[in-house]
Amino acid sequence: MVLVLALGDLHVPHRAADLPPKFKSMLVPGKIQHIICTGNLCIKEIHDYLKTICPDLHIVRGEFDEDARYPDTKTLTIGQFKLGLCHGHQVIPWGDLDSLAMLQRQLDVDIFVTGHTHQFTAYKHEGGVVINPGSATGAYSSINHDVNPSFVLMDIDGLRVVVYVYELIDGEVKVDKIDFKKASTSTSAP
Amino acid sequence: MVPSEIEPSSPGTLVLSRADESDHRFANLRSIRWRLNLGVIPSSSSSIDELRRATANSRRGYALLRRRLLMNPHLLKDDRDLPTLFIDNPLSQNPDSTWGQFFRNAELEKALDQDLSRLYPEQWCYFQAPGCQGMLRRILLLWCLKYPEYGYRQGMHELLAPLLYVLHVDIMRLSQVRKDYEDYFTDRFDSLSFEEKDISYTFDFNKFMDSMDNDEISSQGYSKKIKTLDELDPEVQSIVMLSDSYGAEGELGSVLSEKFMEHDAYCMFDALMSGTNGCVAMASFFGYSPAKGSHTGLPPVLEACTAFYRLLAVVDSSLHSHLVELGVEPQYFGLRWLRVLFGREISLQGLLLVWDEIFLADNSTRTFTDDDEHNGNNMFKVFVCPRGALLSGMAVSMILYLRSSLLSTENATCCLQRLLNFPEDFDLDKIIQKAKWLQGFVLDVNVRSALSSSVPARTKSVPSGSTSPLFVTPESYWEEKWRLLRKAEEEERQMSPSTQKKKRWLKVTKLIREVTDLSRFRRRSVLEGISQNISSNTEEEATECPVTVSKENTPTQETEEGSMGFHTADEESVKSGEESSSVYSDPTSLVRDSNDSDSSTASNLSLDENHNSVDSLSAENSHVSLEPTSPEARDCSTNLDQQTCVDSPLPISPHSRNENQVTQSKEEDSTDESVSIITKEHKLLTGIFQWFLKCRRSFSSEESKENQVDCYSESHTQALSSPNGDSDSNLMKTLKNLGQSMLEHIQVIELIFRQEPGLVQGGLIRNIDKTKFIEKGQATATTALKELRKISHLLSDM
Repeated sequence: MVLVLALGDLHVPHRAADLPPKFKSMLVPGKIQHIICTGNLCIKEIHDYLKTICPDLHIVRGEFDEDARYPDTKTLTIGQFKLGLCHGHQVIPWGDLDSLAMLQRQLDVDIFVTGHTHQFTAYKHEGGVVINPGSATGAYSSINHDVNPSFVLMDIDGLRVVVYVYELIDGEVKVDKIDFKKASTSTSAP
Repeated sequence: MVPSEIEPSSPGTLVLSRADESDHRFANLRSIRWRLNLGVIPSSSSSIDELRRATANSRRGYALLRRRLLMNPHLLKDDRDLPTLFIDNPLSQNPDSTWGQFFRNAELEKALDQDLSRLYPEQWCYFQAPGCQGMLRRILLLWCLKYPEYGYRQGMHELLAPLLYVLHVDIMRLSQVRKDYEDYFTDRFDSLSFEEKDISYTFDFNKFMDSMDNDEISSQGYSKKIKTLDELDPEVQSIVMLSDSYGAEGELGSVLSEKFMEHDAYCMFDALMSGTNGCVAMASFFGYSPAKGSHTGLPPVLEACTAFYRLLAVVDSSLHSHLVELGVEPQYFGLRWLRVLFGREISLQGLLLVWDEIFLADNSTRTFTDDDEHNGNNMFKVFVCPRGALLSGMAVSMILYLRSSLLSTENATCCLQRLLNFPEDFDLDKIIQKAKWLQGFVLDVNVRSALSSSVPARTKSVPSGSTSPLFVTPESYWEEKWRLLRKAEEEERQMSPSTQKKKRWLKVTKLIREVTDLSRFRRRSVLEGISQNISSNTEEEATECPVTVSKENTPTQETEEGSMGFHTADEESVKSGEESSSVYSDPTSLVRDSNDSDSSTASNLSLDENHNSVDSLSAENSHVSLEPTSPEARDCSTNLDQQTCVDSPLPISPHSRNENQVTQSKEEDSTDESVSIITKEHKLLTGIFQWFLKCRRSFSSEESKENQVDCYSESHTQALSSPNGDSDSNLMKTLKNLGQSMLEHIQVIELIFRQEPGLVQGGLIRNIDKTKFIEKGQATATTALKELRKISHLLSDM
């Protein structure tokens, strides 16, 4: 019953002023145990804001992040799952599943979270999941100018993870859900 | 989970007052008794089947509740229906969402865990086991969810924990019975065989022993031991039948069952909290809003606190007024006492006994007759039913237990400290008995007017019908001192018994000394000097000597009353008083000495005039008895040896000084009569003190009777119980008589003093200076008489 929030690409203050108010009202402290952020916050204030939602914050460096100390990739283990984090601008072509999968295999993680495309995607791939939470503020990207704000909430419970996707479409929050079960806790198979 | 640190309690020493024929089956099975008393199992059910059915019903209720309220969001239907998903996602703010419920439960659980982790640390291994904690957590969570208006308050877990413990104890008993009487538990069917002629499938509780598997004995050759349940004693029989898996309602009906401990505990807790339609609902004690129908407008727990304070006022108004003056409100300690039903004050085993009694008390509202309806409306809700009355009685009896220590404190914080840190070791039986008496008192029809809440708080009305039991309660300051001294004694148990007794009796004399000290500081008191003389007389321990001295006293008294050298006489007596005080403090150190100086003191004693009884004195007494009071001997007294002390001049010297003053003034005609009476009193008082010391002598000389002082103090504290041993009873009687006679004579003396003003005004006394002294003397004399009166009470109470 571990709730993990995945979001990124906020581009505050350059491309967006702030998170949408409806998202902000939903993100109350106390419910979420971890936050993983794909990067491009860009400023420290957003970092602090995320810290207020949950103190356990994991963040990787996006190309516009003003804090250069964030790492390029990160892995962490929550429950039975291994999570990997990378902004994604390093992986070319941007948003390509196979290339991302290569990085996922390199990091040896079950759930791989990336960003940069500002587009929500979630793939089940080779026994793992690749998730892109999109842009939480709906900031434009180099590829896409019409972006819906979105973020992802993962509910990790034992060997099962439920992925809730929150999207702001036409001013309304829409929720979707994806179930994913890990096969077993055996050692990684090639 | 075996509670290695907890021993299952032996059946309570208190007899179950309800003469219920079914109770003898459950004498050892507290959980069943409590379930019956609380109403979980309706008390009308007496047969095993009814019990089982009632149990099963209650458990079903809980199972339903659990299924309904404890939700796991993951178990919800997995459809991807968007509207429900919008509501039911984890971040949903929607109050209806299951996730919202889940988070609220999580918060509640966190609050619960805070309390549960601190539950009963002394029985850590049972209550802190994860299984037990989980059960407690679930039960409390479900109860709070079921009654959202109450929520969870600290203290509810302490009400629940003993219930669970009691169930656990019974399960232990069950498993023990199972082990002992394996044959009767028909869970194993493998080796059972049936009678040929048995058409109906009756369980004869035959058990084919392991003979079937036994190589040696064949089945035919083995004589079947037909064991029927009737052979067992009723308790084991009931245990077997109650826990039979194949009785009525099957496993769910098995009244003692480990599987359903949680269910049973929940049902008991629910019944306790809701009061099962009675008047005392524990849940109301946790609420803050006034109960409907209450005319005091207070929340129920505050009302209950004021109720037991009212009871205290009626039963013991001095203590009540003392507490009220200090500003000790009942709810400071009463809240904790009542909310947890004394769980924090009494250890677990004792608490079970107390709860036995509380649950035994009926919770239904008493109905009153018509003309009392008026009064009935004014009654505190708590007094209206036996259980509430017992609760108030218990609270008051606990306050009364601390009575003397409460009366001696002068600020509120000390009082509260004493009340909140209830002493560990105390006689629970006594407190419970007192509580039961108070319960009867409350429920008594005549009393209700006094206890009505419309009557002002400090009422002094005591109902007619009940006077004698009130003697149990009042304890004087002296008794408290006695008890304190006794406690100090218990700390020094390593000392040899003889020295122990010495010390005890020294402390008795200390008491007397204090009386005299009190009078010592009141100058210009006739009796003060007299009592000083008496005490100096008693120190000598001569039966005849003081008589002679008192004869000498008579001339001195004649002079003292009107003497100009009054203040000098006071100084004299003050000095002697100081002497005696310093000397009294010495004996304690003396006692520690070896008995080397005994012989010397004995020889000193022999120097006294007319010491016939010296030889009969034990050596120890001589220590104490030899308090030289003359100024000359003061130096001697400070020496531990007292080798050089000379007693013989002692009694004479103060009197000689007084005699000097005799010569100075001689007009005492008018006061002769009073003096003569006074002299009689003094003789009597001296006689009384002689008696007292004789008794002490006899006590300490008899080494074998080590428990006499305990008997003394016991009988002292239990005013109604008779002491052990004939000699002791005789002693007590004599002491009582002494006390009473002292009292009478004190009254006579007071009468005299009241008459004296008449004499004074009559101008019969020539010397005007003397009159002034006499007037002042009377005032102080009366105070000294009061002190003596207290002593007499002390003696008569023994």
